[in-house]
Amino acid sequence: MATLDDLKKTFFDECDEAMQQIEIGLTDIRSGEGNDETINAVFRGVHSVKGGAGIFGFEQLVEFAHVFETVLDGLRNGSLTATSENLDVLLSASDVLSDLVQMSRAGETIAEGFGAEVRSGLEQIIEQGGGGGGADGDIAPAEFEGLDFMPVAVNLDDLDADVPLAGSDGRSVYKIVFRPKPEMLKKANEPLYVLRELRKLGEAEIEANVDNLPALSEIEVDVPYLSWTITLRTEEKRAKVDEVFEFVMGDCELSIEEETPPPAVIAPAAIAADTAMPEAIAALPVIEAPSVAPAMPAPKAENKPMATKPEGETGGGAGRGKPAATTTRIELDRIDRVVNMVGELVISQAMLGQIVQDLPESTSMRLIQILDEVAHHTRELKDSVMSMRAQPVGSVFQRMPRLVREVAAKTHKKVRLETHGETTEVDRSIIERLGDPLTHIIRNSVDHGVEAPSARIAAGKPEEGVIRLSAEHRGGRIVIEIKDDGAGINSERVLKIAREKGLVGPDAQLTEDEINNLIMMPGFSTAEVISDISGRGVGMDVVRSNIQDLGGRITLKSVRGQGMTIQLALPLTLAVMDGMVIKVGTQTYVMPLSAIVECLRPSRGEISALIGTHGMLQLRGEFVPIILLSDLLGVDSAPGSNSERVVIVTDNGDGSRIGLVVDELLGHQQVVIKSIEESYGAVPGIAAATILGNGRVAFILDVEKLAELAAQTPITNHATSRAAQPALN
Amino acid sequence: MPVPGAIKVLVVDDQNSVRQMTRMALEEIGFRHIHEAENGVQAMETAAVQPLDLIISDYNMPEMDGLGLLRAVRGHPVARKVPFIMLTGRGDRELVVKAAQAGVNNYLVKPFTSAILRDKIEAVIGKLS
Repeated sequence: MATLDDLKKTFFDECDEAMQQIEIGLTDIRSGEGNDETINAVFRGVHSVKGGAGIFGFEQLVEFAHVFETVLDGLRNGSLTATSENLDVLLSASDVLSDLVQMSRAGETIAEGFGAEVRSGLEQIIEQGGGGGGADGDIAPAEFEGLDFMPVAVNLDDLDADVPLAGSDGRSVYKIVFRPKPEMLKKANEPLYVLRELRKLGEAEIEANVDNLPALSEIEVDVPYLSWTITLRTEEKRAKVDEVFEFVMGDCELSIEEETPPPAVIAPAAIAADTAMPEAIAALPVIEAPSVAPAMPAPKAENKPMATKPEGETGGGAGRGKPAATTTRIELDRIDRVVNMVGELVISQAMLGQIVQDLPESTSMRLIQILDEVAHHTRELKDSVMSMRAQPVGSVFQRMPRLVREVAAKTHKKVRLETHGETTEVDRSIIERLGDPLTHIIRNSVDHGVEAPSARIAAGKPEEGVIRLSAEHRGGRIVIEIKDDGAGINSERVLKIAREKGLVGPDAQLTEDEINNLIMMPGFSTAEVISDISGRGVGMDVVRSNIQDLGGRITLKSVRGQGMTIQLALPLTLAVMDGMVIKVGTQTYVMPLSAIVECLRPSRGEISALIGTHGMLQLRGEFVPIILLSDLLGVDSAPGSNSERVVIVTDNGDGSRIGLVVDELLGHQQVVIKSIEESYGAVPGIAAATILGNGRVAFILDVEKLAELAAQTPITNHATSRAAQPALN
Repeated sequence: MPVPGAIKVLVVDDQNSVRQMTRMALEEIGFRHIHEAENGVQAMETAAVQPLDLIISDYNMPEMDGLGLLRAVRGHPVARKVPFIMLTGRGDRELVVKAAQAGVNNYLVKPFTSAILRDKIEAVIGKLS
């Protein structure tokens, strides 16, 4: 059985969810996207926190939540209005509530008067609405004072056999036995329609009698075997019921009997319920037996009652048939174990494939077929498991509005955060490590990027700065973009600092982009750019290495006076990926399939010579620089005709393309990513390693880094001489 | 005299922690057949397939709230007589009035102890053995 501590943990997990709900709701309302349900959801969130906190004895949490809730209730019932001032107070209140939750969770003593300012702000709002609610006593009373409520006692024994009371509601009950004769079908009368008509009169409980149903082989299509017993509860007169059978009267056996209603014993509760019965009734789950189509005797039909509703009520019932969200909580460790096992399975399967290939064809034929199936299932298994681990980036984004509010308040700036693509999903391991870099970047944007209101007005911009945080899937990666409309990077100042720090030589000529990227160099963060908000010893260099550790890439673009855009491109998962196994000389490598645009063996005419390069590949009107992978990786290319070689055109994430020359394509394979950084540190151009089917280790190439390396590496003399004649002749 | 161990009770609350706390309190009193539901819709699904002797439901829930559930129960052909105890917060006085109109049997203010819970149940179904 769960212990109290377990329950507390559950409660705090629920609080986290509730806090997210509150934050999202309030932000939506503030941006004008909210509706009645939004404010209800926020109210429910606060109410849940309060309810649980009461049970677990977190009194300060209860008290604050209570005042908060009172304001929300006022908004809900219209006695208060959601002005932007009020919403600001509510947003601060959500921050305080979140702090109180965190402190209660950590078991810290909460200082007397914590959040008092916000609380009095809330109380002021309550007063605007003319009081209402207000905090009542500290200890929950078991009764509401002065409320004239009498508990309604019930004898449990009366509950049994509580079939609807016939006639208790002024309706008549008819017991109808309806047995069609063969003539009825011959006259093209359909029993189903008769039953439907009956249903329109009221509540009909229809029981099919299948006793006369012969074996399937003996069934004759134009003989009706079924008969029905119907209990009809209706407000209509007997004549109306007779009318239904008007056209089939002679063609069926029919008996209609009116049941005598028992003495009307009605629970007071039932009366109240009947008068106040809402549309919820239509949404009721009613016990339903599988419906039996009357004209088509189904051999498996059982003798089950069918409770039905009048036609009008059943149609399109809003909540009907929509199952409540079925979720279950699983410990992440367990999912991680499955992920690891799937990784191992992928390797074992690749090994099996290798062995099967070496078998004589007579034996291997069937094995290959089965192995294909195994591969298919493994892939699906992998995808399902990965989707279990996937989480929407929204969980990280949600922390940012508060950060922006706080930093903006401290720096006396006006900043609005816009978020897009919160539902974009990415592996949990990435989500977990995304929070810190993102926090840092956004804090920087507010602190250094967006200008003070006066400066913005002077520059002809709106007083309020906008930071746009967005996420989307692009080319097998998730791209997160943080874009502000601030002043951009002051490149002269950056260059000056970099020179002073000795990060660049005094004479070095750098482009604007190169200068801007200096802020991500280790050791750049200086006292000059440190304020009390940003730059607590963690600079952009740490952000960059965080992102690179995740196998991601960070790019920065800044336009003076117009703002800065930082783009993070991250892999969707850190566990398994699709790769192309390639060969360069004697070495085998894996290239991420997501980076490959196409593989081709170009003809001589498609390569144009260009001094200082290995040639340019002309690809549908576009020129793609050719790079020898063997040069970049420092391995010898296999001897042999160049024309046998393959060019892999890759996408470098920023839209630019290069053509990498390899000796051979070995095939497409799923590979399990094994990090090498812990053992070897970061190797430029190599993202990770993997184990191939033959049990050998192969490196996974980092295509974007390779492109960078290619751009930096001067073509060697040896290479230049070759460059005079294109690499692939 | 009703025997708690024989009574089938349904606890409805969207918060797992509150459901578990209520369950613990019920178990302390001696209840053994305790069903759970996260909201009114789920509760009605349970009520449709499971004979119940008592429903203890929170008020504030998504999908279908406690009042909606109470009305649905009172209008249901099979479950309409099942005793219904509504869980409320401290400030939810008006709700109790509405619930009384809709035919609630008793109410219970959160937070509560198992002793109070027992009192509230006994006021509805009689002294427990």
